[in-house]
Amino acid sequence: MLTYITLAWRNLWRNKRRTMITVSAIAFAVIVSVLLQSLNRGSYEMMIDRMVSFNTGYLQIQDFRYDDEASLDNAFFYDEELRERVLHADDRIRKILPRLQTFMLAANGASARGAMVFGIDPEKEDRFNDLKGYKTEGRFFELDEQAAVLSQGMADRLQLTVGDTLVLLGQGRFGMSASGLFKITGLMDHPIREMNNQAVYLPLNTAQEFLSAEDHLTALMIAPERERQTESVAAALRQALRHDDELVVFTWPELMPELLDLMEFDLAGPRLMTVILYVVIGFGFFGTILTMTMERIREFGVLLSVGMRRVRLAAVVFLETLFICLMGVITGVILSLGLIALIDPIRLSGRAAQAVIDMGFEPVLPLSYAPDQFYTQGIYVFLIAMLVFLFPLWKLFRLNIIEAARS
Amino acid sequence: MAILKTTDLSKVYNPDTVPVHALRDVSVSIEKGEFTSVVGPSGSGKTTLLNLVGGLDKPTSGEVEVEGIRIAGMKDRELTNFRLHNIGFVFQHYNLIPVFSARENVSFIMLLQNQDKEKMQERADELLRAVGLGNRKDARPPQMSGGEQQRVAVARALASKPKFILADEPTASLDTEAAMNLLDIMQRMNQEQNVTFVFSTHDQRVIDRARRVITLVDGAVDSDEHRDPDEGATA
Repeated sequence: MLTYITLAWRNLWRNKRRTMITVSAIAFAVIVSVLLQSLNRGSYEMMIDRMVSFNTGYLQIQDFRYDDEASLDNAFFYDEELRERVLHADDRIRKILPRLQTFMLAANGASARGAMVFGIDPEKEDRFNDLKGYKTEGRFFELDEQAAVLSQGMADRLQLTVGDTLVLLGQGRFGMSASGLFKITGLMDHPIREMNNQAVYLPLNTAQEFLSAEDHLTALMIAPERERQTESVAAALRQALRHDDELVVFTWPELMPELLDLMEFDLAGPRLMTVILYVVIGFGFFGTILTMTMERIREFGVLLSVGMRRVRLAAVVFLETLFICLMGVITGVILSLGLIALIDPIRLSGRAAQAVIDMGFEPVLPLSYAPDQFYTQGIYVFLIAMLVFLFPLWKLFRLNIIEAARS
Repeated sequence: MAILKTTDLSKVYNPDTVPVHALRDVSVSIEKGEFTSVVGPSGSGKTTLLNLVGGLDKPTSGEVEVEGIRIAGMKDRELTNFRLHNIGFVFQHYNLIPVFSARENVSFIMLLQNQDKEKMQERADELLRAVGLGNRKDARPPQMSGGEQQRVAVARALASKPKFILADEPTASLDTEAAMNLLDIMQRMNQEQNVTFVFSTHDQRVIDRARRVITLVDGAVDSDEHRDPDEGATA
């Protein structure tokens, strides 16, 4: 085998310039393709990361009715026993985060706004999503304190600040009236722009009492060690909770399918571009293999004459095709990784930045390092190589030895 | 038993359109150790005969037997295997693998035969010494002269320990000195190791050295002379 590998490798360097040009073309296609995808996916990954950290968790336990009707009436009972069961359902569960969430009216003395009210445990939130890092003023509250932390947008709209009192009006569990005064202990700049205009955080215990939902949660957010473990941990959780008819386990793609659909739609452009790029590069690659085949027809004829089997000769040509493909892909992946590391994240400035801020996003374009965008290039190029290899294969198995040796 | 025998061997090209009778009922028998030239004018069928006895082409009719084994009906894969183990080839244009050294070119045939690697190297070195290229074993074809390349081709042909060697115009691309040198080597192999050679040639230098000369004219055997090269034709 080593001799065939040596033969194939040396054959590549019979025409160094041609091999280098082909390898460079493949590497270029890989770089452009990876960069296009990385740029598009980077923004979505950031968005998904924020949504997963602040909104859904990688996994979430809810009452089975809550997904259809997000009401406090569909909160579920949460105690130490359930907590233990969840934590022990799978060794890969790293963090859990209890939340009680509802819509209310938030008011100052003069006006009112719709608010998304979260009952939270600030320490657990901080461990889960670094919430305290987004505080801009004041402090976060204690679990039993009659206090609130407002998102900056909400505070601005209600013209409230630290030390002021917030009025919350709404409905608690099972139609109970819920109205209360909360001292504003802090303000925060919420990383999800739309939440920045409506989020109000209350201590979990205070919120449960205020909303007549003692020992109840609307969501238990869960984080496994790695994102890729989401599905298997979900399966373990479903198994652990199989006797709780009222509890359901959702994964983050199930909780925000619209975002994923949007991402898929947005990625269609770069994917089409990649296909076009690879078709062009594929023809270049084919040209190289075609020339390498045609200029060695006599040599092939001689090798077959002296007793080399066609299949072995095909294996040598296959190795040549594979080597070109591997060199191109490896070079492309290394260079694209380096390039991504060099420019990530791209910080927008001026009008572009403002436009992005106005759309509710941060003015940065992060790049994705998702492994699949690298190895899929390898798969694409390998598939092209296989297609390209069909020509020498066809030629070899139809080769007339005498005509070839005479050519 | 003859090492190589043809019986009424015929080859017609384009039988359905414009038939060209390249070979007509050729029956020859070659014994082990013969040093035979197949001669004749261009188009007489020399190369066609060599291709058929070498299993590179299939006859329209007739038989080719190598040590009693009929090869005409063999399938492609069987024929390839048969050639590998029984027939050595020397081509006019050397046709070595340009990216392999002389030693690798010679070993390659043995590799195809799945021989032991150590023995392959030993035999390749021994054959290269025998053709006078013991000190050029690491040179690649582009670094060698035509004569040297053809000597490597002879060593390669011998590497598989074939029953006979077919050489198609082996001296046609060589200058006189290189051609004489090559003929000396082949003649020595023939005399010392009893290697059977069959050449197709136009080259009078080769014809003069042959102990048997088969002359083809228009695809048929015109004459078949057995002779002592030092004493001239005997029959």
